Amino acid sequence: MDLLPTTEQDEIIATVRSQLEREFDLHALAERDGAAQVVDDALWQRCAELGWFGLGMAEALGGVGYTLAEEALLFAEVGAHATPGPFLPTVLGARLAALAGATDLRDGILSGEQRIALAEPHGHGEASAGATVSGTFRVTDHGGAHLVLVLVDDTASIVAASELVAEPMASLDLLVPTAIGAVSGVPALSHLDGAAGLRLRATVLVAAELAGIATATADQSTQYAKDREQFGQPVGGFQAVKHRCADMAVRAEAATSLVRYASLAVRDGHHDARFHAEAARAVAAAAAVDNAQINVQNHGGIGFTWEHTAHRYVTRAQVRSRTVGTLRDALANLLAQPSPA
Amino acid sequence: MNLDLTAEEQEFREEARTWLRDHLPTEERPPEGDEMRAFDLAWQRTLYDSGWAGINWPTEYGGRGLTDIQQMIWYEEFAKANPPFTLNNSCTFVGNLHGGPTIIVNGDEEQKGTYLPRILRGEDVWCQGFSEPGAGSDLAGLNTRAEIDGDHLVVNGQKTWTSYAHVADVQELLVRTDPTAPKHKGITWVICDMRTPGIEIREIRTMSHVTDFCEVFYDDVRIPLTNVVGGLNNGWRTAMSTLGFERGTAFMADQVELAATVERLIDEARTRVGPDGKRPAIQDEELARRLAIARAEVAALRAMTITGISRNARTGVPGPEGSIVRLFHGELHQRVYQLALDVIGADALRLTPVDGEGVWTGPYLQSFAYTIGGGTTDIQRNIVGERVLGLPRV
Repeated sequence: MDLLPTTEQDEIIATVRSQLEREFDLHALAERDGAAQVVDDALWQRCAELGWFGLGMAEALGGVGYTLAEEALLFAEVGAHATPGPFLPTVLGARLAALAGATDLRDGILSGEQRIALAEPHGHGEASAGATVSGTFRVTDHGGAHLVLVLVDDTASIVAASELVAEPMASLDLLVPTAIGAVSGVPALSHLDGAAGLRLRATVLVAAELAGIATATADQSTQYAKDREQFGQPVGGFQAVKHRCADMAVRAEAATSLVRYASLAVRDGHHDARFHAEAARAVAAAAAVDNAQINVQNHGGIGFTWEHTAHRYVTRAQVRSRTVGTLRDALANLLAQPSPA
Repeated sequence: MNLDLTAEEQEFREEARTWLRDHLPTEERPPEGDEMRAFDLAWQRTLYDSGWAGINWPTEYGGRGLTDIQQMIWYEEFAKANPPFTLNNSCTFVGNLHGGPTIIVNGDEEQKGTYLPRILRGEDVWCQGFSEPGAGSDLAGLNTRAEIDGDHLVVNGQKTWTSYAHVADVQELLVRTDPTAPKHKGITWVICDMRTPGIEIREIRTMSHVTDFCEVFYDDVRIPLTNVVGGLNNGWRTAMSTLGFERGTAFMADQVELAATVERLIDEARTRVGPDGKRPAIQDEELARRLAIARAEVAALRAMTITGISRNARTGVPGPEGSIVRLFHGELHQRVYQLALDVIGADALRLTPVDGEGVWTGPYLQSFAYTIGGGTTDIQRNIVGERVLGLPRV
């Protein structure tokens, strides 16, 4: 039993981190605010070339051959850098296509040539996926997408983007373009009826992204508390600030540890995997939202500006804590599970 | 990163489970005094005789030389065996989890050979003499004096919040040996025989009605210099390693037990009528939400404990990150018992003992200690802020 990354896993983290810092600088991305397509095709294909989209997929399925554990480390970095782009539907869509034997579809997604958006039920109406897709959906990263991954409970489908026309709305997070669309009886290009496993992975990956947000905002606050001086000293010397930073570190550690545990429990097929995935999402969502909010406070006036990146984490945490279900769903699901090991 | 148990660890878990099924005491632990001491030491002796004492201690001092993971597995199996008493609620706690580990790291060979086997065999009860009336959070401000007289230290002063002093044989004692040095530099960590003339003990009743809390007074108490651990005037460093264990691995048992407590509470919520007087408590939306959060948070606590073990395995000794887990655990422990009182409805008004089956209000009262003992949560936050995050000291 060990919950710290191996040397090889640390190398994956370092590679991802340096790429995200170089290519996904949030200040540079600010000019894409509000665009329907935030990440351009060339950059998306460079991510594909690094093998990120098939990182956690077995070689037999056409992936790189690592596991959900490494994929979760990738998503933690995506969260930590508030990285925009359809990472989640891309990774899940490639897996769905691979599992359904749709190799052309899989290869198109893995190569970054086929862009894929994410659709989840929106509002309280009926929604269904499977061989056909019906209902009202919230579609994210729809701009420039060729495909849409539709997740409804334990079923999942890939449909042509041209079939799921959605009306853009003003998105809380300007780097996560969002649109609403209603469809009826759209045929799926590929689908899985028993997609519980896919949803479980999605739960872990969203939790990982949230844990990354919690960690990055804790780090950002700590750094600012060291740099910012008032009353003739760094503000991190004042207990009111220091203790908030300490609490942020505690939340980040709780979320990170549990997400890592959950990624391994799901990967290894433990009988309490579902419990741990839902628990990870619940803990990570609360940690991400709390830390992102407090991070603004810790920065004072500068934290309230558009220029500073603190607000990026606030809105991303709010969006991701409502991706693949909500905190409320996670809590209900985990209480319904039998006792964990 | 992996969740695998080695074949040896798996086998260890099976052995522990089987042994506990056959040997766990069925009688309740006497709540105080000599009966309590006898009960705790007899259980320690039973553990020793069957190879369950000092699981992660070195073999040369009577331990099993196994890993922290195996120690955790033992705690998990103990908690699952539905014991009539909680693990850390024992007068053997300080010896097993503070004094012993500190001597393993800082003691000389004679000290190791003298004290460590006696702890494991259940022959000595240890207590802690750190806090004073004027030195709580500011531990380094302690004033209990020790002057060198030949080959002895002569101690005068007062310690407080000393659990089990009234039944203890030995004390880990912090004294000021150089009053002229800066406050962190003039402290010595010394082993004090509690039967030495000049020691007076007064019991303090706590808010949870437990009387194992004490004040200890020292009047010309003579302690051989050979009892100094880690060097004269080097006691702060030695004490930090003691507290490192306290904040690192000493509460592993509590952390494991808390997970079992939450599962018991969820069972209570399924069977008890809830606040509307009709449906089970678990169907009350607010209680269900809090129970779900508690369940998720104890899962996080377990993962954090394993992360801490993973870190210790790489560095050898507990680092300041232990304060992160300690802080999370202390506050979570309190939230769980606060929630318990809301789940059990009118039974929240019935006082129970701290230990035993189906007790909730006694442990609730006791839970206030979890954010005070071993350094208050304010101090833990300072440690996380300064020593983990590198923020400036006040």
